Amino acid sequence: MIDFILIIPELFLLTATIILLLYGLQSERKNVLSLLSLLSLSSLFFTGLLLWNNPIISCSFFFNACILDHLTFFLKSLIIGSSFGALLISLNFLRISATYSFETIILILFSVSSMMILVSSYDLLPFYLAIEFQSLCFYVLAASKRHSEFSTEAGLKYFLLGAFSSGILLFGFSLIYGFTGITNFEDLAKITMSEALPFSMNLGMVFIGVGFLFKITAVPFHMWAPDVYEGSPTSITAFFAIVPKIAIIGVFLRFFGFCLFFYEWGTILMLSSLGSMMLGSIAAMSQFKLKRLLAYSSISHIGFMLIGFCCGSIEGVQALLIYMIVYMLMTTGLFSIALSLKDSVNFRTSFIESINQFSMLAMTNPILALSLTILLFSMAGIPPLAGFCSKFYLFFAALSSSLNVLACVGVLTSVISCFYYIRLIKIMYFESPFLDYHCFPFRLSFQNSFILAFVTTFIVFFFVYPSPLFLLAHKTAIALCF
Amino acid sequence: MKYLLLFVIFFPLLAAFFLAFFPEHKKEHQKWIKNFAFQSSLLNFLASLFLWIQFDSSTPKFQYGCFVDWLSSVSAQGEPVYGSSLTLGVDGISLFFIILTTFLTPVCLFTGWSSIQNYVKEYCIAFLVLETLMIAVFCTLDLLLFYVFFESVLIPMFIIIGVWGSRERKIRAAYQFFLYTLFGSVLMLLAILLIFFQTGTTDLQILLSTEFSEKRQFLLFLAFFASFAVKVPMVPVHIWLPEAHVEAPTAGSVILAGILLKLGTYGLLRFSIPMFPEASLYFAPLIYSMSLIAIVYTSLTTLRQIDLKKIIAYSSVAHMNFVTIGLFSLNAQGIEGSLLLMLSHGLVSPALFLCVGVLYDRHKTRILKYYGGCVHTMPVFSAIFLFFTMANISLPGTSSFVGEFLILVGVFQNNPFVAIIAATGMVLGAAYALWLYNRVVFGHFKAPYISYYSDLNRREFWMFVPFILGVTWMGIAPNVFLDPMHCSVANLIG
Repeated sequence: MIDFILIIPELFLLTATIILLLYGLQSERKNVLSLLSLLSLSSLFFTGLLLWNNPIISCSFFFNACILDHLTFFLKSLIIGSSFGALLISLNFLRISATYSFETIILILFSVSSMMILVSSYDLLPFYLAIEFQSLCFYVLAASKRHSEFSTEAGLKYFLLGAFSSGILLFGFSLIYGFTGITNFEDLAKITMSEALPFSMNLGMVFIGVGFLFKITAVPFHMWAPDVYEGSPTSITAFFAIVPKIAIIGVFLRFFGFCLFFYEWGTILMLSSLGSMMLGSIAAMSQFKLKRLLAYSSISHIGFMLIGFCCGSIEGVQALLIYMIVYMLMTTGLFSIALSLKDSVNFRTSFIESINQFSMLAMTNPILALSLTILLFSMAGIPPLAGFCSKFYLFFAALSSSLNVLACVGVLTSVISCFYYIRLIKIMYFESPFLDYHCFPFRLSFQNSFILAFVTTFIVFFFVYPSPLFLLAHKTAIALCF
Repeated sequence: MKYLLLFVIFFPLLAAFFLAFFPEHKKEHQKWIKNFAFQSSLLNFLASLFLWIQFDSSTPKFQYGCFVDWLSSVSAQGEPVYGSSLTLGVDGISLFFIILTTFLTPVCLFTGWSSIQNYVKEYCIAFLVLETLMIAVFCTLDLLLFYVFFESVLIPMFIIIGVWGSRERKIRAAYQFFLYTLFGSVLMLLAILLIFFQTGTTDLQILLSTEFSEKRQFLLFLAFFASFAVKVPMVPVHIWLPEAHVEAPTAGSVILAGILLKLGTYGLLRFSIPMFPEASLYFAPLIYSMSLIAIVYTSLTTLRQIDLKKIIAYSSVAHMNFVTIGLFSLNAQGIEGSLLLMLSHGLVSPALFLCVGVLYDRHKTRILKYYGGCVHTMPVFSAIFLFFTMANISLPGTSSFVGEFLILVGVFQNNPFVAIIAATGMVLGAAYALWLYNRVVFGHFKAPYISYYSDLNRREFWMFVPFILGVTWMGIAPNVFLDPMHCSVANLIG
C-alpha cells in the first residue's frame, strides 16, 4: 500500500482526468470547454504541487518496476511545467478554431500522466506500456481535426510509423528478455556490466536504439516529423514539439546510461546526431511553411541533444538536461507566437502558415517582433542568450569526452542554422510586405503574452546568473550516474 | 575605484533600459529620447575619462579590477569543477579602446540627430546596448566571456545595418556580416573550450602563465586566428566589410570602422600573442604575407571603386593590416605603433565616414561620379575633409603618422623586406586618398546633378571638432597616449 503513496501525483492526475472526462460527457453547457481547460490547468498545477511536496526523494517500488529519484523528479517537473505551458498557450487557439471537442484536453492530460509514469519506469514492461499509452494519445490528437485532410493524413502517418517503431522497440525488448530472462533495469545493468555481451543482445540493443531514434525523430528515422508537424492542428504540434521529447529522452537516458552501457551505443547515436544536425539545418533552409521549418529545426536540436547522449559523462548528461530546459522554453515561446498570429485575409479563422506572412510584424507589433527576434537568435545560439549557454556547455562536454568531430560539426551546423533563423528576422524587419499577405496585428491573449514575456525574460537574463540551473542539472546528472 | 569601471560598462545598458519605457508617440518625445540617450552617453564618456585620469601607468597590472562569480558548479566530491567568472580589469592596452568606444557612441547618436526618422527609440537603444557590449569586450579578462561579448555585438549590429541601412542590398550585407563573423568565431569557441578542458580555467591572467604544447598552440592559434582574421579583416575573408560599410547607416559605419575592426586586432594582441608565443612566432610570416597582400591589394582595389564609402572601407582594410604587421613584429615599437594606429584609425576613419554621411544626407547618393567641385559650394566641409584625408594618408603631424612610423620601425628590425613592401602601402594610400579628394572636392561643380546645396550646419561642424582635436593631439604629443601603454606592452612581450 505504501507504494501507492509514491505515485500520488500520477494517481491524482489520472483520477482528475477521468472525472473531467465524465463531467465533459455529462455537461450540456456550451462553455464546457473553457471551464474544462481551466480545470485541467488547475489539476496540472495541483499535480505539480503534489510532486513537489512528495516527502520521499528516491526509492524504487512496485517490486522494483518503478523508481523515484532526482532524475524522475526533474523530468516530471519539466513535463508538468511544459505541458502546463503548452496547454496555456493553446487555449485561445482551441477556442477560436471551430473544430474542437473537449476530448483533446482530456487526451492531453492522459498523455501527461502516461509520460509521468514513463519517466519513472524501471523495468521494460512499464516502460513499453507507458510509451504506448503516450503514443496512442498522440495518434488520436494528431488526427483530431477531422475535416482537414492534412490532419487525417498526419494522424495516419504518425500512427503507422509510430506503431512500426513501437513494434521495433518491442522486438528489441523481447530479444533482450529472451537472452537474459530479465526485464528489470537494475538486473540488466548488472548483467551487462559483468560479461561480454552475446551478439543477439547487441541486436536487441540496435532494435531498441532504432525505436528510440524513431520516437525522437532523429535522422534516419525522421521522415514523419515534418508531415505530422504540419498536418496536426497547431496547438497539438506545440504539444508534440515540446513535451514527449522530454519524457522519451529522459527515460532513455536512464536506460542507456544506467542499464545498457553507453559504449555500445556510441557509434549509432553519434552517426544519428551528425545526421540530424546536418539534415536539420540544411533542409530547413528551403522550408517556407512555419511548422515545417520548426519541425526541421527541432530535428537539428535533437541532433544537438544526442551529442549529450554520446558523451557518456556527467557533463554530457548535465549539458543535455540544460539544453532540454532551454529548448523547451524557447519552443514554448515560439509556439505561443505561432498560435496567436492570424492571417490578414481571413483573420477570423485562419492562422498563419507561411513564414512570409511574418512580414510587417516589426511595423504592426514591434514588441512581438522583438521578442520573436530574441527567441530566434537564442535558437540560433547567439550569445549572450540562453540558447548559447546551453549550446556551449554541450560542446564543452563533447570536447571533454574527445568527441571532436561532433563538436566541430555541431558548431558549423549551428552557423548554418543561423541562416534560416535570421531569415525569419529578415522577413519581419527588413522585407516589404506582400500586400494582403501578412499577419494580422492584434492583441495577444493574456496567457500567451504572459508565457512569451516569461520566456523572453528568461532567455535574456539567463546569462546573468546561470549557476542555479547548472547546479540543478549537475545534481540530477549525478543522481543518474550513482 | 572598482565601481567606476562597472559604472562605465553598465550605465549605457541602464540608460537603454530606462529608454525602453519612454513613450514615443509625438515629435517632442523623439526629441527627449535623443537628448536623454545623447546625454547619458556623454556622461559615460566623462566617466571613462576618469579611468584615464586615475590610471597608474607605472604598473603592468590590470587596474580597476573587479570579480563577479558568474558560473560555478561543484563535483560530487564537493570541489569546484567548472568556473567562469566576470573578471574585469583595465590595463594600458585596453584603456584607450574603452575611451574610444565611449567617445564614438555619443557621436553616433549625434550624427543620427536629423537623418534618423523612423524607429528613433530603437536606434538609441541599439547604440547604447552596443556600447555596453563593446566596453565589456575590452575589459573582460575571461576568455569565455570575451567570446560572449565579442559575439553578442552581432545582434545589435545586424539590426543597425538591416533596419537603418539605406538600400535594398543592405539585407545581403547584414547577412554577410553576420554569417562571416559567426563562422569565424565559432572556431574560437571550440578553441576556448579546448583550453578550458586542458587547464580548467578560462581566466586570462592564469592562462598567461600556462604553457601549451607546441602542437596544440598551433591548433589553438589558428582557431583564434580564424575568428580574428574575419574581424580584422585579413584578405581572403574581408568581403563582408565593404558590403557592410556601404549598406550601414553613417553611425553604423562609424562604429564598424571605429570599434568593431579593433576587436580583431585587440583580440590578437590580448589573447593570441601572449598565450601562444611560439605559435605567434611561427605564424608571423603567414600573417606578414597576408597583411602585405591585403595592403597592396586593397589599396589598388580602392582605385577602381566608385562608391565613396567603399573606398574608405577598403582603406580601412589596408590600415588594419598595417596594424597586424605591427603586432606581429613582436617588439615594443611595433606593438605600441599598432596600438596607436588603431586609435588613430578609430578617429580618422569614423570622421571620414561622417564626411561621407554629410554628403549623403544632402544629395542622397554615394556614387562618386555625381560629385565634383564641392569646394565651390561647401568650403568648410572641404577643409575638414582635406584634414582627414591627410590624416588618412598619415601626414606627419597627424596621429596616423606616429602609428605607422612606429610600426615600420618595429617591423624593420624584424624583417626589412616586409617593412619595405608595407611602406609602398603608404604611397598607394596617398594615391587613392588624394585622387578621391581631387575627384570630390576639386574640379567643376557638377550642376546638372546637384541642384540643392548647403555647407555644414553648426551641429555637423561641432561633430567634427573633437575628431580634429584628437587627431592633432595624438600627432603632436603622442607620449600622452604612449605612456600608459609602455608597461603593459613591455610586460606582454617580456
